[in-house]
Amino acid sequence: MRAVMRRRSLWIAGLALAALTVAAGIDVALAQGAPFGVPRPPSPPPASADGIVGWILTEQARFYRSLSGLVRSAKQDGSAVWSLLGVSFLYGIFHAAGPGHGKAVISSYMIANEETWKRGIVLSFASALLQAIVAVAVVAIAAIALNATAKSMNEAVRWIEVVSYALIALVGARLVWVKGRGFLAALREQWAQAPAAASPALVPNLALAGASAGVVETREPVLAGLIHAEHAHESHDHHDHDHAHGEAGHACGCGHDHHDHDHEHHAVAAADHRDAVVTGTAHDHAHDHHAHDHVHGPDCGCAHGPDPKDLAGPGGWSRGLAAIVAVGLRPCSGAILVLVFALAQGLFWAGVGATFAMGLGTAITVAVIATIAVGARSLATRLAEHRAGRGDVLVRGLEAAAACVVLVFGVALFAGYMVTERMI
Amino acid sequence: MTHRPTARLRSLLALLALALGLLVPCLAQAHPHVWVVMASELVYGADGTITGVRHAWTFDDMFSTYATQGLESKQKGIFTREELKDLAEVNVTSLKEYDFFTYAKLDGKKSPFVDPVDYWLEFKDSMLTLHFTLPLKTPIKAKGIELEVYDPSYFVDFSFADKSPFALKNPPGDCKVALKKPTEEETSSQLQKLTESSFAQDSSRVGELFANRVSVRCP
Repeated sequence: MRAVMRRRSLWIAGLALAALTVAAGIDVALAQGAPFGVPRPPSPPPASADGIVGWILTEQARFYRSLSGLVRSAKQDGSAVWSLLGVSFLYGIFHAAGPGHGKAVISSYMIANEETWKRGIVLSFASALLQAIVAVAVVAIAAIALNATAKSMNEAVRWIEVVSYALIALVGARLVWVKGRGFLAALREQWAQAPAAASPALVPNLALAGASAGVVETREPVLAGLIHAEHAHESHDHHDHDHAHGEAGHACGCGHDHHDHDHEHHAVAAADHRDAVVTGTAHDHAHDHHAHDHVHGPDCGCAHGPDPKDLAGPGGWSRGLAAIVAVGLRPCSGAILVLVFALAQGLFWAGVGATFAMGLGTAITVAVIATIAVGARSLATRLAEHRAGRGDVLVRGLEAAAACVVLVFGVALFAGYMVTERMI
Repeated sequence: MTHRPTARLRSLLALLALALGLLVPCLAQAHPHVWVVMASELVYGADGTITGVRHAWTFDDMFSTYATQGLESKQKGIFTREELKDLAEVNVTSLKEYDFFTYAKLDGKKSPFVDPVDYWLEFKDSMLTLHFTLPLKTPIKAKGIELEVYDPSYFVDFSFADKSPFALKNPPGDCKVALKKPTEEETSSQLQKLTESSFAQDSSRVGELFANRVSVRCP
């Protein structure tokens, strides 16, 4: 049973990783420049086993093509503006879907970051709004104020892209750092448990056994070096171990007991855990032989990485802001083309309206995807609650993979920029 | 084992699959931002060798407006060939990276092109037309010529003009020309056939589905 489950976990983790890799790969493959000098979004190809893709493709192309006609009509007949806004909105919904709009980045970010769906929606709307604002600003400044050429506008957009891609890479690098450590910690824990499974000798609760405060175990030098510094791993015999987690800034105890739902709240754990104080935080685990019931304190995710609070709290929002800026900075080509076209028709405001309508549509699509990502993530977490070791490794692995995707996206897009620099 | 997480595993898988299913087509943005209507010629030399392809690509009005934004002209909104000279230069230079979106096979053998010659932009009815000649690297005689025009990433949509889409210039004999331009139905049925694997194998060539194919058979 155990072996089967393990294989299954690996399979799920593999699947998730493959999914993320594919998503990343597409963007990488297409992070290229602009023929004829239109700021070109990295546009991956359609692919699906059904006809939805073809339909989306056809529809958005149809909406997009009708935009120029609608701008022209709006010039004659003011009421056509409503059609323009409506079509722009629909176009946004369909088109949003492009990586230029940061779906993949936002979703990966959501998965990696234990974000809530509310934050997902806020992130999506904020980045789409920023995207629209940037598009309007670029055209207003470049085309209206400076009467710049398409070439100069491309250059401006390219610079914005560089910053945006670098930011995505930075956000990704940070996530990889945090989540990678969490994953390694979970792996290590899993590894430490493995012998326990093999020899079901009963040492039920050794949370306090052999813990020598603040000493990083060096019996496994390779892994020990990889585990982050705030993590003091003590007493790694094969049946139990004892963690002191330093990230969360509060005490947190998780009892793992065989068939025994042990409700240890963190206050109790902290009291029990006098000897494992490292940086003001104690987080101890007693693992017995094969069943692992994690019991979670009210504000402790029993996470082996950083506490969710750390990311969703006030500090989390500023980090969220980095993600919003990273994703939303790059204006969409379609919006810029519509704006310039509207400007040439003497209807710049109609173009602005269309841009914001597109942004609204984009936000809705991205929010839906982000919410799904959050759902998948929270399901994985709930699963992990029931399957201590492996489940945890799975979730941490998923997070780490998602973090890698964000980083890979950023780097690849950035590198793609470097390649296309010679373009107009 | 008290817990049997198989059901949860299944639901997680289902959710992941759903997320993936939504994410992937969404990633499938690849829709054109530029539309080109083309009229092309296969050019033969005096000795009967094929020397190259001459294109006239007309861009859609939105792109034409964008491309001419900020360009100086004597008459507002009207651009002469001279005023568009720099833009034409930039266009043909940047096309190089994309192999000019033109792929030729002469008697079954891929035949590359060299840098375009004789190029200029024309502005008419607020639309730009780029005229250029793509010389074959090595002009040769061939009985069967296959020509394809498409943007692999489908950022640019190419289609043949309704009127005189393709011609032969100084052909050596009585050659037959067949144009194959995918209809909307064909394109969408092709798209529907796309599977995960076909897309994993060569993700960047979706535009091929929209390729405009010309085949020329000469005696």
